[in-house]
Amino acid sequence: MEVPKRFQAGWEGMSQVERSVAATLLGLVFVLFLAVIGGVLTPAYFVFLLGLGGMYALLSLGLNAQWGFTGLINFSVAAFFGIGAYGTALMTADNSPIAGGFSPITGLIVALIVTAVIAVLIGIPTLSLRDDYLAIATLGLAEVVRLIALNQDSWTNGSAGVRGIPPFFDGWPILDGLPRALPGFRIELVPGSPLFLETPFYTAMLNLLIVGTFIGITYFALRRAHRAPWGRLLRTIRADEDLAKALGKNTYWYKMQAFVLGCLVMALAGVFYAHLNRYVAPGTLDPITTFYVWVAVMLGGSGSNRGALLGGFVIVAIREGTRAIDFGALPLEAAPLRLLVIGLLIILVMRFRPQGILPPQRELIWPGVVDDAPSQPDKAVRDTRGANNE
Amino acid sequence: MSESEPAETEEPVLRVEDARKTFGGLVATDDATFEVERGTITGMIGPNGAGKSTLFNLISGFYGTDGGRINVNGTDVTGLDPYEIANHGLIRTFQTPRKLEGMTVREAMLVGPQNQPGESFVKLFTSPGEVAAAEEQNLEDAQQILEEFEIDHLATQPATQISGGQLKLVELARAMLADPEILLLDEPVAGVNPTLANDLREQIKRLNEQGTTFLIIEHDMDFIMNLADPIIVLNQGSVLTSGSPDEVRNDERVINAYLGGGDV
Repeated sequence: MEVPKRFQAGWEGMSQVERSVAATLLGLVFVLFLAVIGGVLTPAYFVFLLGLGGMYALLSLGLNAQWGFTGLINFSVAAFFGIGAYGTALMTADNSPIAGGFSPITGLIVALIVTAVIAVLIGIPTLSLRDDYLAIATLGLAEVVRLIALNQDSWTNGSAGVRGIPPFFDGWPILDGLPRALPGFRIELVPGSPLFLETPFYTAMLNLLIVGTFIGITYFALRRAHRAPWGRLLRTIRADEDLAKALGKNTYWYKMQAFVLGCLVMALAGVFYAHLNRYVAPGTLDPITTFYVWVAVMLGGSGSNRGALLGGFVIVAIREGTRAIDFGALPLEAAPLRLLVIGLLIILVMRFRPQGILPPQRELIWPGVVDDAPSQPDKAVRDTRGANNE
Repeated sequence: MSESEPAETEEPVLRVEDARKTFGGLVATDDATFEVERGTITGMIGPNGAGKSTLFNLISGFYGTDGGRINVNGTDVTGLDPYEIANHGLIRTFQTPRKLEGMTVREAMLVGPQNQPGESFVKLFTSPGEVAAAEEQNLEDAQQILEEFEIDHLATQPATQISGGQLKLVELARAMLADPEILLLDEPVAGVNPTLANDLREQIKRLNEQGTTFLIIEHDMDFIMNLADPIIVLNQGSVLTSGSPDEVRNDERVINAYLGGGDV
């Protein structure tokens, strides 16, 4: 009895939009579930897509810490993603021209350190300048990183890419051999379309576990930081940096923290990608990723961690959903229309809901300190206005 | 709010010596020299373009000086960053009140307190108890100041949706949370209705009695003459004269500066 009650309380505490989003998500999950049962989507691919969605959600969380919290314009999302991916790939892969053969945990640590160093180096000259200089510098950085990955053969294997990257749990007790050790199942719920729960499915589940852990840690940390005085300071910088300075806040230092933190989260997504795909090539660094992630953050609602999560999954839904669309006799391909759909979507969101789907709504004061925080500031305004009129 | 008086009470809280700022060929501040005594409400007037706002920006570190020295609380702060000068006890407000988008009034207030443990990313995770205690204390202080300013009913309103006058009050209240030695106000009653302007004057007087020193730029002569003593008159980037409101009012040079009169 306890659980339905809590569920009901949670539902009543939600705003209209939150309810629609929750309902849509539930509906979507149900449709996908049917698709899996009906054999349209294999279980392994479905779980793989969830992992991919998680990867975009991570990237969006990273950008949200920079743009959503602090107002930093970073056009280097793909580059930091790529630095994370190449960082771990070059440390762990068989044919790595640099190190190779280290454990994925070492790869993860090295990737994060390299990312932090590059983020600090790009931040030092630009973060004390106006916003647009960071935007220009990161735009350049993205291209520089991509061209180095493509042309510096002795470091990156150039266009051939880095092959033979081990799975993330390589060398771990139990988890390493688990996908192969588990028994395979063949379930036939709908006659004629059996479901295979075998090694590829278990591998995908393990990958989902990794990205889930990454997201869990990141989301918890960012959420906590966002509603703390730290996050309040970043939001002050976003709204008016001069005001923050006049109140004695070292804005340069806080912008640096937000920038590096966001880049680290992006690199985390890159590390996940390298061990998911087991192969990294310069194509990983294509600027289109940056574009997708910006759309995800704007769609979800700048400054909102939940929004970033949602945006990441929506982007993957559009990217992969358009693959399945078949126009039949029409001489049209769906994949090239993908960008058109995303462009249209972003125009519609900006026109009708410029704050994004799930903007930050609640007052952000350290939890437990206030108990009368209005869940929707808008509502409080209306109430008081009404009271004034009486 | 500052109950602890520093040891050297004779030291002026702010001393500006030969401050100079040029924008290309234009000399905006030309060797301005003055002092603000501790415990005073010092006014600063002057015709448009006299360099008042430039001088504020120089003092608070938003502009770099082209010459001269600025001393806050006995420390030379020339060339320091705005946040460092603020940390030395000099807090300023802006001519056009700054809005904090997406925050409630009390959230916006909570930006004021200095050295909050919760502003350190690491401490959020290593000592959440300390962060919560500080946050609770700051919130209490904020609530109390809002009550003293009689705007506590605005606490949970979005900071962007209150009137211009209320915004000025919130700005002053927030600046007080930073516990400044000296508060620089840039036109606190510009665009504020007379009733609210009176409120502001009473608040400033009250805070001054509690120990805060003020330096106030204001064009509203009624307001400033009934509040500040002494008053510094700026003209063409340098100090023309200073003295009590009566002295300044009857000074021929001041009248000439304002009316654009001929020889001094």
